[in-house]
Amino acid sequence: MRTVYKVLAYVIAAEVVVQAMMIAWAVAGLGAWVDGGGVFDKSVMESEQVPFTEVAGIIVHGINGGLLIPVLALLLLISSFFAKVPGGIRFGGLVLALVAVQMTLGYAGHGLPLAGLLHGGNALLLFTAALYTARRVGREAVPAEPASLAARV
Amino acid sequence: MPRTRRVRLAVAVTATLLIVGPFAWLWQDSRLPRQYSIMSMGYADHGGGAPGHHDGHDGHGGRDITTLVTDRDRPADVAVTLTARQERFRLASGRTVDGYTLNGASPGPTITARAGQLVEVRLVNDNVRAGITLHWHGVDVPNAEDGVAGVTQDAVRPGAEHVYRFVAPAPGTFWYHSHQVSHEQVARGLFGALVVLPPDPPAVDVVALTHVYDGVRTINGDSRDLRVAAGPGTVVRVRLINSDNGPTSAWVAGAPYRVVAVDGTEVHGPTPVADTSLLVTAGGRADLEITMPDRGSPVRVQVGGGLSVVLGSGEPPRVAQPAKVLDLLGYGTPAALGFDPGAADRTFRYEIGRRPGFVAGRPGMFWTINGHLYPDVPMYTVAEGDVVRMTVVNTSGEVHPMHLHGHHAVVLSRDGVTATGSPWWFDSLNVGDGERYEIAFVADNPGVWADHCHNLKHAADGLVAHLMYAGYTTPFLLGAATGNSPE
Repeated sequence: MRTVYKVLAYVIAAEVVVQAMMIAWAVAGLGAWVDGGGVFDKSVMESEQVPFTEVAGIIVHGINGGLLIPVLALLLLISSFFAKVPGGIRFGGLVLALVAVQMTLGYAGHGLPLAGLLHGGNALLLFTAALYTARRVGREAVPAEPASLAARV
Repeated sequence: MPRTRRVRLAVAVTATLLIVGPFAWLWQDSRLPRQYSIMSMGYADHGGGAPGHHDGHDGHGGRDITTLVTDRDRPADVAVTLTARQERFRLASGRTVDGYTLNGASPGPTITARAGQLVEVRLVNDNVRAGITLHWHGVDVPNAEDGVAGVTQDAVRPGAEHVYRFVAPAPGTFWYHSHQVSHEQVARGLFGALVVLPPDPPAVDVVALTHVYDGVRTINGDSRDLRVAAGPGTVVRVRLINSDNGPTSAWVAGAPYRVVAVDGTEVHGPTPVADTSLLVTAGGRADLEITMPDRGSPVRVQVGGGLSVVLGSGEPPRVAQPAKVLDLLGYGTPAALGFDPGAADRTFRYEIGRRPGFVAGRPGMFWTINGHLYPDVPMYTVAEGDVVRMTVVNTSGEVHPMHLHGHHAVVLSRDGVTATGSPWWFDSLNVGDGERYEIAFVADNPGVWADHCHNLKHAADGLVAHLMYAGYTTPFLLGAATGNSPE
């Protein structure tokens, strides 16, 4: 279960990288499309079909951030209950909390662009926290089954 | 297994259940029955009025809405047959779209009538598997003609047909579209324009129905500018219809314009404006009147930035969207409403929010109405003849074009600022994030009416409530087992 915990934390960190790449890709694609004479407005934004390929970046960002990452963060917290990593629950909780903040900022940014600014910053906090959570597993040598330690966590 | 280890495992399992349990409960609680009546949906909101004896909210009792039809014995003045097909089709500009057609084209034919004429439309479903309907957007038809699958009729299955009959209202611009799986069928072509001509039509009368197919904006199904001949001094009426899910802006270069009608209702005392942009919300219409310059120069009506209606000959320059936006709250001159909104019998609140949760078993960030997720939303209950006031508030972070079926409402104020212009009658209202509208209408068209967001994807995600008249009931059912899926 320690491996599951560790892998989940790494996957979340990787997902933050994917999110940053996706949104930058989409914005670049939008710029190129407008440069070529395309007009982007609310109706195009709400249209079922994509006017340029890079819109896929926005769609992936939405599915990843709105569904996949929160599920991964929940699974990380759940795995921490079984993983017996010292302080593991605390860090699992921290990652989940940062994901919750990130989602809130992301959706709030639709009506309040300033929240989008913080969304970008919080992404790096989340990335760091997820990476640290993964890397600290096994750093402290955990004896096989010391009852005293198990009871403490 | 040592005792401490067992205790620890038990604690871990319990903690897991504490997390997973609520999610599982919310998920199962959000699942919709295989079939259900709109009458049993949500909770009754009487708006401070009497509940009424034959409320019908439990799905029993009351007059059947299928009796609310246009005079069956009266012969039709305008008879149209529309055949719907699901197919790959070519737009006027040559682009191919995988979608739906009416009589082989999208948009479908423009239906034209004069006020008071009886319009009879025979809708034939050739091969649309999910079934279809037609809703007469902006026309306050009798309830049984409203075309909402599962609420006012059953979806028309492939091979079947349905006849709609209604009396053309006062002159104005309207449109029709499917109200079965509408978020898919409207986006992909099942719609058309409906125009009720005035007794003395202007010299040049142009329908400009704009729609985005596969990310490409079109006017009347053509992704190129619409060119219309108009000589110097000619009065031109351009009927803008927005059939998309998002609001769009229009502006005019080369001449001033007047907004002579909004959502099929004439504006009282419209004044000419220039260098001003006009927002037409999703589902909304605006009629612009332009007098062609005497010197013979052409005029460009830009719709959504990339596309235009070009009036006259030549190539008028494109201009950037003017920063100034026409505010209908103070446009035109006041006139009598015909009722007193101060003497309201019912006062409702329609507050749109957003939160994570489950709708129909799907997880996501969903729109809420008064804090509740679909289907646990208010059923606004009125009695015939009531004066109704409604506060529409949007705190959801995104714009919502709100559409009330079967009625025209009037804007009383926005964000506490009272309307000072012409009565702003609407059927589709652009409610931006953070905005708050006070509106009023007379409950004079009995039945069961949808009151939903016309960003049809939002409606499909549950941003739909209903206005129900006490003493009426619908026999139609919604849900997977019925094949009726209005949004």
